[in-house]
Amino acid sequence: MEKTMNRRIFLKYSAATGVTAAVSGFPAILRSQPKEILIGSIQPATGVIADLGIADRRANQLAVDDINARGGIKSLGGAKLKLLLGDCEAKEEVGRSEAERLIKEGAVCLTGPFLSGVAIAMGTLCEARGVPFVIDVAAADAVTQRGFKYTFRCFTTQSILIKNIGDFLDTIVKEKKVAMKRIAVTNAGDLFGRAQGKAFVDYVKAKKLSFDAEIVEHIEYPLGVQDLSAEVAKIKAAKPDILCPVARSGDAKLLVRELYKQRVELMGIIGPGSPGWYEPEFIRDMGPLADYVMDNAPWPNPKSPRFKEINERFAKLYPGKYLDGNSGYGYLAVMVIADALERAKSTKPEALVEALRTMNYRQDIMVGGAVQFTANGDNRGANTAFMQVLKGEVKVVLPKEFAQADYIFPTPPLWKR
Amino acid sequence: MAKVYLFLGLLLLILLILPLFLSQYLLGIFVFIFYYAYLGQSWNILTGYTGNISLGHSLYVGIGAYTSTVLAISLDLSPWIGMFIGGLGATFISLIMGYLAFRFGLRNVYFVLITIAFAEIGRLIALHLKPLGQFMGLFIDFKPGWANFQFKGNLPYYYIGLGFVVFSLIVVRVIEVSKLGRYFVALREDEDAAESIGVNAFRYKMIAVGISSFMTALAGTFYANYIFYLHPTSVMSMGFSIEIILRPIIGGLGTLFGPLIGSFLITPLAEISRSFFAKAGFEGLHVVIYGFLLIISVLFFPRGIYAYIKKVLSPVLMRSSRSTLSLTGRGKG
Amino acid sequence: MSSSFVLQLVISGLLMGGVYSLIALGLSLIFGVMKVINFAHGEMMVWGMYIAYTILLFTGIDPFFSLVVSAGALFVLGYLFQRTVVNRIIEFPEAMQVIPMVGAALIFENGARLIWGPDYRSPASKFALSSLWIGEIMIDVPRLLAFLIAILIAALVFLFLKYTDIGKAIRSSADNRLGALLVGTDVNRVYAVCFGIGMACVGAAGALLVPLVPLAPHIGPPFTLISFIIVILGGMGSLMGAMVGGLIVGIAESVATIFLPSSLKQIVSFSLMVLILLFKPKGLFGR
Repeated sequence: MEKTMNRRIFLKYSAATGVTAAVSGFPAILRSQPKEILIGSIQPATGVIADLGIADRRANQLAVDDINARGGIKSLGGAKLKLLLGDCEAKEEVGRSEAERLIKEGAVCLTGPFLSGVAIAMGTLCEARGVPFVIDVAAADAVTQRGFKYTFRCFTTQSILIKNIGDFLDTIVKEKKVAMKRIAVTNAGDLFGRAQGKAFVDYVKAKKLSFDAEIVEHIEYPLGVQDLSAEVAKIKAAKPDILCPVARSGDAKLLVRELYKQRVELMGIIGPGSPGWYEPEFIRDMGPLADYVMDNAPWPNPKSPRFKEINERFAKLYPGKYLDGNSGYGYLAVMVIADALERAKSTKPEALVEALRTMNYRQDIMVGGAVQFTANGDNRGANTAFMQVLKGEVKVVLPKEFAQADYIFPTPPLWKR
Repeated sequence: MAKVYLFLGLLLLILLILPLFLSQYLLGIFVFIFYYAYLGQSWNILTGYTGNISLGHSLYVGIGAYTSTVLAISLDLSPWIGMFIGGLGATFISLIMGYLAFRFGLRNVYFVLITIAFAEIGRLIALHLKPLGQFMGLFIDFKPGWANFQFKGNLPYYYIGLGFVVFSLIVVRVIEVSKLGRYFVALREDEDAAESIGVNAFRYKMIAVGISSFMTALAGTFYANYIFYLHPTSVMSMGFSIEIILRPIIGGLGTLFGPLIGSFLITPLAEISRSFFAKAGFEGLHVVIYGFLLIISVLFFPRGIYAYIKKVLSPVLMRSSRSTLSLTGRGKG
Repeated sequence: MSSSFVLQLVISGLLMGGVYSLIALGLSLIFGVMKVINFAHGEMMVWGMYIAYTILLFTGIDPFFSLVVSAGALFVLGYLFQRTVVNRIIEFPEAMQVIPMVGAALIFENGARLIWGPDYRSPASKFALSSLWIGEIMIDVPRLLAFLIAILIAALVFLFLKYTDIGKAIRSSADNRLGALLVGTDVNRVYAVCFGIGMACVGAAGALLVPLVPLAPHIGPPFTLISFIIVILGGMGSLMGAMVGGLIVGIAESVATIFLPSSLKQIVSFSLMVLILLFKPKGLFGR
């Protein structure tokens, strides 16, 4: 009796495997467990923001290496991730073409591309091809307003950036009992700079701050400017209380030097959501002048031991560099993709999209909450931190639960350091 | 000439059937080959045939792209129609530039500079215009369908691109064999001499500018509905103008096939150098290699690749080729 | 709008203009003599900046001294570049000349990126932060020094061209290439020296800019463009024109910020260029 039962079961089982093998043309076991899962990373590795693009790429790679070191994607038989590299050269058409190439080479998911314009071009392509696109960094709100199913964004949106700087400024005014009536704003002429500058100016003009404030000067300068003496002279003439500059590290240095040379009196320099101020090159090259600058930006969580450990390894690989708000999200995005693969137990696009839709990835490496995507693909948990450079180091000062130090405001003048 | 037409027909047949064997990625490469070949051909009408070098053609692509897109967004106008309105807009602007340039007798490098100035001023103005999205650029909705000039796969873009290229070849050939073409070439070879025998330089240069800019602008609409994002820095920049002129110059200035050959060579070359050499830790290497290739190709083919091919194949073609006047691409520019 | 504010802008612009003049001088030499549109002008200047920066980083020698090395290195680079590439394309129609120069620009920019990395660098040099005050007007010391040294170098170039044999050979080749050949001038060598000097000017200017401008591989193109505007304004082939043109453009850009948002600054320069092209194409000093 037993023998017949076993044989019947055995026959059924082998028949099933046989059929599957015949259909797929290959031993079924091997087919469903890929040895290697390809992910595409498309960053602006050459061109005007090559430094940021390369940093993101390195963070993507580090995360891939870390996941593989921990055993790969366990639900898919320990399959290892492999990062295919693309360079969009900061151009939309190259971004699209690179995306097409990486998809052809077998990427099951794409990440990148830092620039919102390229994100749109890639997003549209991924929607047409049915390939999930998990954006690591891209700030323009419009990126997730196209109604795309396949696009997800880990980074904060511009609206969050602006709301947070408003909140932080309110906090400073309340806690330090100061008045910041006259605000001067500057920004570079690139897409992010102008969008951010304009959004902040609009926010202040709409009286959304809890205290009385007006914009006394709003200066835009061309990207790649070599000389800001005229602009700073204008700022000085407007007698602002604080300066809120959206700048890249290049113009940040120019700005601070000019402010020093022209002896512009300010209570502080507060980036409303700006790159540049926290970058190691800025701090290294400006020395004591970099101190006390404040900025609102997405940022890694300084209180996270996990982040500290990852950052140490990053710094060892690339001396003089550390993970910041952008590259931190580069790392996080790959973790999110890995989590999606893990939960989807498959590399099929529909399964991945479903896993991304229902994402609830508890993370503490970036300031903010768990990664959860809204209906249009934004990350509910994405948030920003308020930082100040103190004694040559970037320290988070607000919100309190992530703070490493107390902030100093008003700040001592540049020429008295 | 019959032999050439036979060869062309064969080529066309191959290009028509080729997509059956190509992946989306390769189709996409061809889309860019056709796009740049068409742009190069349109530019060629002005520069190759009349010898007035324009380094500001990206302006017209931009005008075309923005016009059809803004009309589609605000009036729901199909880009197919908007495309022609964009073309007219570009022609209008180009004629203003042409008028200023030619009435004031600008030639050679001075003409180049004014085309650059116009393009840069246009770009800077576009960066500040609200309907054009100012600095944010324009994000274009993805609504695939023939009426919207948007498609999911690359196949329709491939055939439309091929259509554009064939259209441009026909236009250029028609110009070549007509009196218009002979006037153009006469102006290129020696404008003063041509004027002295009664060719109205001003009129014909303006015609060339107008046709060239109109055709160039049509490609702008194609681009807008392929990339879905417009920004003056991408679509009206000096860098883009240079990309436009690379292929016809290397392929053969003032020749019918130059832009086509140039595009079939350069676009894959750029793609190959990017996919093979763009490695981590060596960012920029693929562009250095691309730069070297550009220099080498000009040093080895100073008259363009088409001229070289013609020389090599001339024993075969000599018996049937009679129209050598405009096909040499010689000229002092 | 106080008068001291305007004066401040004028002075800042004038001083910056001095450096622009030196860069444009290099282009004027190259373009005036060889009639080649040097699209790689800005990118080569960036190499001058990087050389001075590297010397500063490793030896602490201030760019105001190491500019000699930058100039020398770029002279050699220019000489070789002329002999290998530019020489072969001199007779080409203008359109064909564009491509190798564009290729060279790509090579210089991305070569710099490969060697020095993509980050912005703004090293702290000795005078970087010092300033003089005359009443309410602040004079930026590095800018002042750059201005003075640029004028000095330009004067040296003038003297060289006027009084040395090879200088005269350069001027005669510029005026009449065939004639120069006929009297036995080794035109190739003359051209190479000329290109070398043009590049040396640009290398020195780059070194002078190191304390003033944040350095990155891609900052070249705006300088190329400005050099062209200045050369047109001043008159092609006129060295005095390049100098005066540089000062004018420097002041114009600075003062324009009073009336226009800075992002439109460039429209002023381009419109100026268009007006010159239309009404005085030979420029202010052109022959």
